[in-house]
Amino acid sequence: MGGYGDMQMIDENGLRVDGRSPGDIREITIETGVIPVADGSCRMTWGTNEAIVAVYGPMEAHPRKIQRQDRAVLDVAYNMAPFSTTDRIRPGFNRRSREISKVTKDALESVVLLELYPRSKIRVTIEIVSAEAGTRCVGLTAASVALADAGIPMTDLVVSVASGKINDVVVCDLNKEEDNYGEADLPMGILPNSGELVFLQMDGNLSQEEFKEAWQYNMDAAQVVHEMMVEALKRGDSQ
Amino acid sequence: MTIPIVPKLLRAHLSELSGKNARIDGRTQWEGRKLEVEHSVLPRAEGSARVRMGDTIVLAGVKFQLMQPYPDRPNQGGLMCSADVRPIAGRHWEAGPPSPEAIELGRVVDRGIRESGCIDVDSLCLIPGEKAWQVILDLFAVSDDGNLFDAFALAGIVALRNATLPAERFEVGKDYPLPVSKTPIMCSYHKVGGRFVYDACAREELGGDERIHITLGDDDNVHSLQKGLKGIFSTEEFTEIMTNAQGRTKELRKIVDSL
Repeated sequence: MGGYGDMQMIDENGLRVDGRSPGDIREITIETGVIPVADGSCRMTWGTNEAIVAVYGPMEAHPRKIQRQDRAVLDVAYNMAPFSTTDRIRPGFNRRSREISKVTKDALESVVLLELYPRSKIRVTIEIVSAEAGTRCVGLTAASVALADAGIPMTDLVVSVASGKINDVVVCDLNKEEDNYGEADLPMGILPNSGELVFLQMDGNLSQEEFKEAWQYNMDAAQVVHEMMVEALKRGDSQ
Repeated sequence: MTIPIVPKLLRAHLSELSGKNARIDGRTQWEGRKLEVEHSVLPRAEGSARVRMGDTIVLAGVKFQLMQPYPDRPNQGGLMCSADVRPIAGRHWEAGPPSPEAIELGRVVDRGIRESGCIDVDSLCLIPGEKAWQVILDLFAVSDDGNLFDAFALAGIVALRNATLPAERFEVGKDYPLPVSKTPIMCSYHKVGGRFVYDACAREELGGDERIHITLGDDDNVHSLQKGLKGIFSTEEFTEIMTNAQGRTKELRKIVDSL
């Protein structure tokens, strides 16, 4: 968190730099079936974030040492394209994308019915082609849509949203400027039907009250995004 | 990249089709797939393009950096072109450092653009020996249904033609469009069932033999050639595809110019 306390990010009317109220999320579009050669895919824009996700499988898990006799293995890779940020990202190994791949995998493994596909592999590839703020949330949300598009059975979709704090005001879905100068960031992965969580991270500084407020913002936003996800999947099905 | 087991049946089928002057997806020998080209599709890139050829989809993004000119060329900026085919693009593409196939893709596209002289590297120099622009063209495969070469080359030149130098962000003057003086175009041909075809799809690549890539400039000048994969071809065969490439590159250049 940048924590630039004097940077004025909330105006006298309580509106944010992009005109949103504290609880508003950015504009979202969701499209399925965008990668013709994949078994399932999703393109999701969220503000000026853009994630493209491909799902391949269930397919043979090889080498055989990675196979599990009782369930499928989930292979999740999150990556930012070199042109996705203001300063070019050098392609290749980096610790941040490894960590995000891991926590995304942990979240998705909690909902995919892996035991239906023993000894096989399901590959989920998340590519961020344009990054604003909150790419891990967009990636995870889009991945669950792509899995559904591939017809992989799951207990629920996963909606991931982040809330945070800026100028001591708790706000939902931080944009780039807010993320740079914000005082806290709380991304969550929510199962919209049960309200349970499969993903949780946080950094920054929140009081117990602020924390509860941010938590609730995420829960409310999850319902809004969930409706759009279901609608996109239905639209994709009817095509 | 793992090479899937080539089904002998596919090879036999392609060979049979070829004997009837037909292709697996119903096209004629020199017919390309449906083409869609868009530019300025990536908000964080200084220039970008999306190209769709049938079910092959690629993105190209241009970024700029300031660099110190190389000691042997103190008056020149730099141009770098790199291609990455990540596992998103198809089930046979795997994670890890760029495969030889992806490196070949990037280098062949790079040569076509570089050797055409469409980017005047001298004009990219700001202070000789000290400061110059480096143009970085990143090619990114979204969906691989064959012939990534042509899709990358086309997306690359379109992205460059729509690129803006971010001089204000680097505090070296006002933003201005990247000067691109020429339009090099690549055409690729694959030997399928014993004859060359234009713009092979993935099944033709899988059951085919060698491939030849030709990049031609505005005046039909040849800027890059590459023969890939195992196979033998004759001068006559090459002459035939070179003639075809002259016509096809002109059609494609018209599309690029109309954007």
